[in-house]
Amino acid sequence: MTEAQVEPEIMRISWGPQHPMSGQTRILIDVDGEVVHRLIADLGFTHRGIEKILENRTFLQGIIPIERMSMVDTANMGLGYVLAVEEALGIEPPERANWIRSMICEICRINSHLYAFGLQAESTGYFPAVFLWTTVDREVLLDLMERLTGARWSYNFIIPGGVMNDLPEGFQDKVKEAVNYLRGRFEQYWEAMVENATFEMRCKGVGVLKREEAIRLGATGPVLRGSGVDMDVRKDEPYAAYGDLEFKVVTEAEGDAMARLKVRYHEIEESLNIIEQVAGDIPGGPVRVKVPLFPRPKPGEAMSRVETARGELGVHIFTDGGMNPYRVKINSPTLRNMYVFERMAELGRILVADVPVILYSIDPWYLDADR
Amino acid sequence: MKIFFDLLVMALTSVNSLLKASWDSILEIYSMVYRLIIGLPELLLRFVSLNTKPLIQIIVIPGLAFILLFAVIVVWFERKFLARAMLRVGPYYCGGRSGILQLIADFLKLFFKEIVIPRDCHRALFLTMPVILPTIPALAVTLIPFGADWVLFRAGGLSLPMFFAIAGFSPLIPVFAGWAANNKYSVIGSFRAAFLYISAEIPLVICAASVAILAGGFDLVKIVEAQSTIWFAIPQFIGFIIFFLGLIIESERTPFDIPTAEVELVLGWRTEFSGVLFGFTMMAEYVSFLSWSLLFITLYLGGYNGPNILGVPLYSNIFWLLLKLSILVPIVILIRGVFPRLRMDQLLRLGWYYLTPLSLLNLFITLALKLLGVLS
Repeated sequence: MTEAQVEPEIMRISWGPQHPMSGQTRILIDVDGEVVHRLIADLGFTHRGIEKILENRTFLQGIIPIERMSMVDTANMGLGYVLAVEEALGIEPPERANWIRSMICEICRINSHLYAFGLQAESTGYFPAVFLWTTVDREVLLDLMERLTGARWSYNFIIPGGVMNDLPEGFQDKVKEAVNYLRGRFEQYWEAMVENATFEMRCKGVGVLKREEAIRLGATGPVLRGSGVDMDVRKDEPYAAYGDLEFKVVTEAEGDAMARLKVRYHEIEESLNIIEQVAGDIPGGPVRVKVPLFPRPKPGEAMSRVETARGELGVHIFTDGGMNPYRVKINSPTLRNMYVFERMAELGRILVADVPVILYSIDPWYLDADR
Repeated sequence: MKIFFDLLVMALTSVNSLLKASWDSILEIYSMVYRLIIGLPELLLRFVSLNTKPLIQIIVIPGLAFILLFAVIVVWFERKFLARAMLRVGPYYCGGRSGILQLIADFLKLFFKEIVIPRDCHRALFLTMPVILPTIPALAVTLIPFGADWVLFRAGGLSLPMFFAIAGFSPLIPVFAGWAANNKYSVIGSFRAAFLYISAEIPLVICAASVAILAGGFDLVKIVEAQSTIWFAIPQFIGFIIFFLGLIIESERTPFDIPTAEVELVLGWRTEFSGVLFGFTMMAEYVSFLSWSLLFITLYLGGYNGPNILGVPLYSNIFWLLLKLSILVPIVILIRGVFPRLRMDQLLRLGWYYLTPLSLLNLFITLALKLLGVLS
């Protein structure tokens, strides 16, 4: 990463961490004029040692740090850990809890995808218009979550054995209202982004990731599905209530930044359908089974996979019979996608102006890459 | 002239008397200085009474006050207007008396901020370039006629070429400034600026040439007078569209603000400037916007032409020009809320593949129509 490694004609730009658009990372861009020769993602600026922190927490306390891995997508992150803990303890949550879990996860997915929309628009130099529209539209869902869990972010609502509470009175109607509102707003995003000629010029054919490359490099989530690979953990290994819910796995064949955006767009539609299904035909019954406050699972391993908004999250827990996990290994989606991002300059000719567009088309969340 | 002669004689006498170096002559110098100080207001008054018109032109319109006021009003308007387009709730309420206090606060902040000078920069260029920057488009504004005899700098038949000659300097300044700052973002931004200006200026010059053919001269006053029956926007429709795009490119407004692309290059060649130097670079953007908008109105939208509604022809001329300006400016500003930024290669393709051939086509059509006698 030093200057000495750079060839004489090549200039190395340090893009971040002190930069309006870089986020909490540093991208080293080797440029010859405007043409990018190499991209190096220098991650680790937000490393908090979550894996180590989890070793020093009881199984229930572990939910709090792991939900901080991705603030807009908290429920999906928390669910990954909770599923692994449940597997280690050998408990099965009641059906109603599974449906509520699915709904919370889909709400988080919409939040996260809306945020990705805003940043994608911002990365092309769209003056904050779209970003602020998404921020306002997200409020509806955040209010919904506040009504259900008491918090706008980081709910700590999904716990081993089920969920904290049952749905409040009249919640289903509120959900249907919110879904209708969002459906009405969605045309606007399609018009402002996909149908906007200038936006199309900036995103179409930029950062093309072919199907084979996507599989070889281990892309995940919308990046993988944007390259035409039909893979979604919710469908392949159904967890929570996804086995009973009807939804499609969205794929786009082009594999460019616009395809990833379209995947997110259609995934939001699917998520709205799922939320509506849950609000409509949620089964009755209890929402949690009794789990001791300090559970001590038998020595062994437990593993879970969930589909977060950014891709597949894997949580691997080793237990030694104590109150805390012996070791927790987290396989985070952003890290896998950043690996793909680093190879974009080799896969096609990109310019300096394409770097933010490609970076935000993989929707990075450095907190979960750095863990 | 006589005043200056007097002053010269005084100066020579004083030198002479210094050479004598006697007490008498020193007293004489004192008395001369005293006379000069006493006589100064009278001298100034005589100067003012002789040259009221250029003085008003320099200070009020189209000079200093107008340019500064335009920059301030456009900054304020852009903030409020775009906030509504973008759903930015803050600027609705911010700034006390409909946002005027915020302007004052911004101004004070820029003036009292520390000017950070990078260690490895070229100090002289770094400090001078932002100060020179707004003066170039401001010079161009002096050529624009605000009335039949209200032109600050009367260049006659040279006024249109002179405008482009002055505007031709503008790419040099970002290049020097970016180079002087010795920052990688600045260097990339400055070369982008040079590409941007050159790709826009050639179609603009060709379009202006076809307007000049239509009007029968390069004199901006003549061009405006020629539009008293019909605005050139109608016979020169292709040129009108090209010039509109070119005006946005030249003033670095949003679809083409590639040199300062925030998400890529922090602030492009402006990155290292801080405090009042940054203020100058931002002001330059608005002054350049003003100069190109005024030229656009002069060439295509009838300039100061309009019915004499205020009684005095000069006043109504200025009124019509400002009215056209205040309709054009919001249209250009609104584009900022609607379009993302283009990429450098896309802009160059637009400039060289589409705008330049189209403007040449426009030139040939104009020439042909002129030779056939369709357009008189």
